[in-house]
Amino acid sequence: MAPEEPRADGQPGDRELVEKAQKGDGTAFATLVERHQRQLYRLALRMTGSEADAQEVLQEAFLNAYQKLPLFRGEAQFSSWLYRIAANSALMRLRRKRRAPDALADQPLELAGPKFSAEGYLEPTSSSDWSQRADERMMSGQLGAAINKAVEQLPDDYRTVFLLKDVDGLSNEDIADALDLTVPAVKSRLHRARLALREKLGEFFDEPAK
Amino acid sequence: MTTEIHHCKECVDLLGEYIEGTLPPDRAQALEDHLSLCPPCITFVRTYKATRKLCRHALVRDMPRELMHSLSSFLAERVPGFSCSESDKSAASVAPAADTAPKKV
Repeated sequence: MAPEEPRADGQPGDRELVEKAQKGDGTAFATLVERHQRQLYRLALRMTGSEADAQEVLQEAFLNAYQKLPLFRGEAQFSSWLYRIAANSALMRLRRKRRAPDALADQPLELAGPKFSAEGYLEPTSSSDWSQRADERMMSGQLGAAINKAVEQLPDDYRTVFLLKDVDGLSNEDIADALDLTVPAVKSRLHRARLALREKLGEFFDEPAK
Repeated sequence: MTTEIHHCKECVDLLGEYIEGTLPPDRAQALEDHLSLCPPCITFVRTYKATRKLCRHALVRDMPRELMHSLSSFLAERVPGFSCSESDKSAASVAPAADTAPKKV
């Protein structure tokens, strides 16, 4: 394995911990679990949509990772390798429930987006500025409900990419690895999801306050 | 030399990469030149950014403590030498049995 950059917090890096864990150091593996469990939980939760499934995916993924640790050669980041294991576990669980993303590819794609004139200029309906009001209504329960509804209406594979990137903060590369997509495909889905959500939020803010 | 952006649609298409800072410098400059002349696109950028901020605020989820404890207990039974952190140990000792019981995979 190539040397890795030192961590800002002075703690051993993933590669050092992986090497120790490969030699049987359970404490090193525990540190890796503690370090990555939150991101893996978010990935599992976003992919399965269920807290109970996320819990089981997490258990399965970390146990699989431990068992496969001797095979990890360090060509990829440890976190990416871990995401891939967790994503596979989530996909298998979804398939068992007959909700595999394979079937989602056939879903009709009805994503809203801004409207343009024939010349490519934004239509006035797409340019209402509600961003100033967003902060004031940040804590509003109605806004929260509108956001949840809008996100639920996204096609599953767009929603997962959006949540992992904009809500959970995973990198495009990690999302691509986990979901077996190319980085340009991640960027494209992300952008289209944002455009669709922006339209829905615009509709919410344009409604008279209830 | 930058290639000018004449239409809003082109501006909107580049927005995702622009706000992530991954747009090539000449395209970013062209987009900023367009924004300086196009109030609807300025509004669009503001609401696009606000969408991300609002969604993050409304949807962010942290891993529940109970789940961390049950994961630690699960792995401690299966991974030799795996040690829970001190906070996990103390929380596990007061948590109800149902929360800490390892699950079958």
